[in-house]
This record gives sequence, C-alpha cells and structure tokens, in this order.
Amino acid sequence: MNTVLCVQDLCKRYPGFLLDHVSFSLAPHRIMGLIGKNGAGKSTTLKAMLNMVSPESGRVTVFHQDFYQQETACKARIGVVFGGMEFYPLKTLAAITAVTKRFYAHWDQAQYQRYLGYFGLDERKKFKELSNGMKVKYLLTLALSHHAELLILDEPTSGLDPVSREELLHLFRQIVEGEHCSILFSTHITSDLDKCADDITYLQKGKVLQSADKETFLRSFDHLRAPGDTMPLTLEEIMLRTERRTWDDEAAL
Amino acid sequence: MKLLYKEIRLCAHPTSLVFAFLGCLVLVPAYPYSVILLFGSLAPYITFVNARETNDLWYTAILPVSKAESVGGKCLLVVSLQLFQLLFSVPFAMLRQGLHIANNPVGLDATPAWYGLGLLVYGVFDILFLASFYKSGYKAGKAFLLASIPLGSMMVLVEATAHIPALSWMDSVQPEDLLRQLPILLAGIIGYAALLFLAYRISVKRYEKVDL
Repeated sequence: MNTVLCVQDLCKRYPGFLLDHVSFSLAPHRIMGLIGKNGAGKSTTLKAMLNMVSPESGRVTVFHQDFYQQETACKARIGVVFGGMEFYPLKTLAAITAVTKRFYAHWDQAQYQRYLGYFGLDERKKFKELSNGMKVKYLLTLALSHHAELLILDEPTSGLDPVSREELLHLFRQIVEGEHCSILFSTHITSDLDKCADDITYLQKGKVLQSADKETFLRSFDHLRAPGDTMPLTLEEIMLRTERRTWDDEAAL
Repeated sequence: MKLLYKEIRLCAHPTSLVFAFLGCLVLVPAYPYSVILLFGSLAPYITFVNARETNDLWYTAILPVSKAESVGGKCLLVVSLQLFQLLFSVPFAMLRQGLHIANNPVGLDATPAWYGLGLLVYGVFDILFLASFYKSGYKAGKAFLLASIPLGSMMVLVEATAHIPALSWMDSVQPEDLLRQLPILLAGIIGYAALLFLAYRISVKRYEKVDL
C-alpha cells in the first residue's frame, strides 16, 4: 500500500497511562482524523511520532523513511501545527518567518506572500496579537510555504468559533486537493471530521479501537445502532455510545 | 549558523545581549571584575527562562532539527555571548593600561591570568547549568541555583588571588609576569572548550529522554 505515514506499534508509558501499540497509516492526498476523548492519547501519539516524547517502542515511517533515523529529512517535508500553542508571543510574524524560512531548502516566498494575502495576515503584527484562528492560519502558511507534503495538526480547531472552524475545514480540503498534501489531525470535535475526513482513527485509553476509511469505519460500528435508529450513526454518536458502554462496563465491575 | 541566528533573533533575551557588552566594565578603576562573569552567567539563565516562556523548545522541535541540534543551538548561543563579552573587554583592558590607570585595588586586574580563570569559571558554570537544565527542559531556576554555587565560590577565589602576595604576578602587567600568565590563559581556553564539549554531550544525552 502506498503511504505517506505509517505508524506501527507505538508504545509510550506514563504513570497511569499507556499508549498501547498504536498503529495506523495514511495514504497520499487523504485527510485522516484522529479522534478520542480528552486523555485518550491523541496528542501523545502525535508527539511520540515526532520524537517530542521518546516512545518506548514502535516504528514511524514517513515517505518510506524511518522517522527516528532520518528525523531532519522527514521533518523538512512535514508541517506541524499545535492548536492553542503560543510561540514567541512578543515577536512579529516577520521575525518568526525570517528565522523559519532558513530551515527549509524549498521555501517558496511567493507562495508565502500569497497565503499571507489569502488569510489576511499582517506580518507586522506580533504573534500574541493574532486570534486563535489566525494563529493556526499563520502556522499553516509557514507549513504550506515550504511545500509540506504532510500536515500534522493537533487540535487545530479547538477554541475556534463555528465560522472559523468551517473555514479551516474547507481550507483543509483545498490544501489536500491543490497542494498534493496529506493531513493527519487530531480533534475531539467529531463534527469537524464528518465534513472533511477521508479516514478515521479512533483512540480509546491509549489503544486504537478502529482505523479505517470513513465508510468502513462507520459500518464497523453498526452494532451500536439502537432498534429505533433509522439513519446511520454519526461519528459523535459512535464516540458517545462507545464511551458510554465503557462507563457501563466499568460500573458493572 | 541558522541555529545561532534563530537563537539570537527569537530566543535571546535583550538583557542577555546587554550583558554581553558589559565586558567594558574592566575600564572601571576599582571594581571586582569577576562580577562581569556573573553577568555572563546570568545571560544564559535569562535566555533559557525566556525560551521556556515562549515555547521555544516546542517550536524548535517542529523545525527540521534534531534534539541534538536543538541543544547545539543553545550551546552555541551561550558560547557566543560569553566569548563576545570577554573579547569585547580586551580593548578596554588595553585602554586601561594606555591611560595608566592604577592597579585595581579591589581584586584581580584584567590580566591574561584573569581571562584564563574567567574561562574556567564559565566552563564550570556552563556544564552544571546546561546539564541540569536539559534534565527537564524547563527547570532553568534550579539549574542556575545549582551552577551559581561554584560560580560564586570561584569568583571569590579569583578575586582573592590579587591579595595573596605569592600570586601577585597574576595581578601584574609587567612583560615577564604576562609571560608567566600565558599558561593559565591557555589552560582556560582548553578547559573551557573541553567543559563546553562535555556539557553539550551530557545535555544531548539527557534531552533525548525529555518528553515535551
């Protein structure tokens, strides 16, 4: 199978939490949503993939290269956005960009200017002066300006109003279609994925419950449908019913 | 060089850059010149606190940079600030001699011996500070406290040499005494390079295990 990202048996242990043999893969030009409730291990998975936390075991392959062996080369082809994260709040966007572009051999200044205009970003502004949505857009601009082939986004839509979220999701689809890019993004707002994801990976308590294309994923949870359900379950209903069953199982014990 | 550029443009606290220019204090007629070393040690501390507050390690982690290179960038900044400070002080030390300002009554003059000992003080501070900081990636205060104990002790010892009659040649700028001081300067240069290299190696090893 042709993949841009392949995660195999990723494990990371914290006191009271275990990321347990997480495996999934992402095909080119696809959007994968990584879902799970708070504390399920979504951010830990992304950070372990990027070597920001050191995994105990597992293998991450990006563009058919071992990420941990070829970290710098792999990162040069990746764009990462952490939603809600403040970077250099007192620095102007121009200063951050001036530094960032030196790290990428394929930096495209014309593309950067185009996205600045498209998003209505003013380089003279300080990072802290941007709204949450604009911060995400700026970080996306940086990623797209070095022609990232894989975007890894951690909760990019958290804290955004519905209009900004809708706009970003629309943008993700445009990026995948126009920039030959793939996107992996974690979220607990499942309605975002109804609109734009091709594939879904569901994490529960550090384990992958299911990872498949959206249609297969939805079908695989048919057993959760109640007799009165006439419509297919949405991702939100799947997540709620799955987590509710876990509570019921735990209560029974 | 791009890592050093990043450190200076985004990470270095403006105060730490000011401290780098305080090498000029060797022109003050009566002053404990080892305090200059304190400024050169405070500069990395302030910068590392600034880095923590601006999520610099996170930003660096998403750039095409390994953890080892991330540590290397910070080490490069520390070395640049400290060496710039000492080199910047040299013309002022020479000017002091040119102006025939009397010997510093407080402590050691800015002689080659002072520079050699200063480099050793920086080396000891840096290895303790960097190795301690990269154990966690955020505890800059603890690292500074730990490193400031030998820093303070060594500063006192450096200043005290001027008041020990047997070591008065270290406080002299007479040509024959300057020659005697050269091995101390050389030892300082070699010691500083070795300690910084060791600091880098230990820091990398520790930072590889840090979870951001």
